[in-house]
Amino acid sequence: MSDEKPHAAGNVDAGDTSERVGMAVLRERGLEPEELREKLLDAIGAEFTTYYYYTNLRMHLAGHEDYKEITEDARLEDRAHFELVAPRVYELGGALPNDIREFADRASCPDADMPVAYETGGFDLENLTAESILEVLLEAERCAIRTWSEICDMTHGVDPRTYDMAQRILQEEIEHEAWFVELLSMERDGEVNPAGHFVRGEPGDAPYSTNNRFNDSA
Amino acid sequence: MELVVPEDCEIPQAGETVDVEVPEGEYVLWAAREAGVWLPADCQQGWCCRCAGELLSGELDQTDARRYFETDRDAALHLLCTAVPQSDCRIRVCQYEEMLDERAKQELPPGNSKR
Repeated sequence: MSDEKPHAAGNVDAGDTSERVGMAVLRERGLEPEELREKLLDAIGAEFTTYYYYTNLRMHLAGHEDYKEITEDARLEDRAHFELVAPRVYELGGALPNDIREFADRASCPDADMPVAYETGGFDLENLTAESILEVLLEAERCAIRTWSEICDMTHGVDPRTYDMAQRILQEEIEHEAWFVELLSMERDGEVNPAGHFVRGEPGDAPYSTNNRFNDSA
Repeated sequence: MELVVPEDCEIPQAGETVDVEVPEGEYVLWAAREAGVWLPADCQQGWCCRCAGELLSGELDQTDARRYFETDRDAALHLLCTAVPQSDCRIRVCQYEEMLDERAKQELPPGNSKR
């Protein structure tokens, strides 16, 4: 072992804090860490905006307590996904945008906003239905599935840390889709289309993504 | 439909021009992927811009996109995940960076957040 690099191999000098081996190993394996980092920022931007929008959607499922509870699970789990991956952005040399508007603008999924017009005085509640809210929820989950699948493809066999996070999130997003397929099928079409699941043990349990919890809020 | 794949596009057909049949009413991205041309895409709802392409000739209907602007159309940039051909089309694919530049120039989302 070289005296100049007593604890190191590769081209990062011992004690050099301007470089990250955790990024260099990705580059060595053909994955540009900066490109991954930007994609993660877009993806967690979508988790964050979804968390916000689901709050409003959930509020407006008044009279459908079962729908509200399930939407609450999805809402809290989307926040858990944001919490899970945000530290990874920093590990990859990035940071959350200073301006929350910028963060929302770059979110990789559409706004899951209310499916009725909003004007001064509030939403057009006359035309609001549970069916239309469930459709928004379903399409939001589908976007998340596509996004995290892409990140799984990008990191598989190259970046086990990000892959582990992405596959955990993907598993929950697929469950969310199944929930909303079941609810919308019955609400809109009177069809039985089981998700195959029962309710979470606690609201927003996030059984896959919190197995790798970074802190108690994740 | 003819897809012109730039050299720097990270798919196996980089540098080639590929003919793809698009069934009536279907999206360009779906048809390309069905034909084995795995174009990049994330949201597939006409929002994130990852699938952007440049329309070289022909006409595309972009009605189903969730976030698409007239200035995109003026720049011949389209979101292929939600673009339905209205005629025979020739499209340069993998134009994500160009779309981000265009949006930033027009101060439209995602604007400068990715620049």
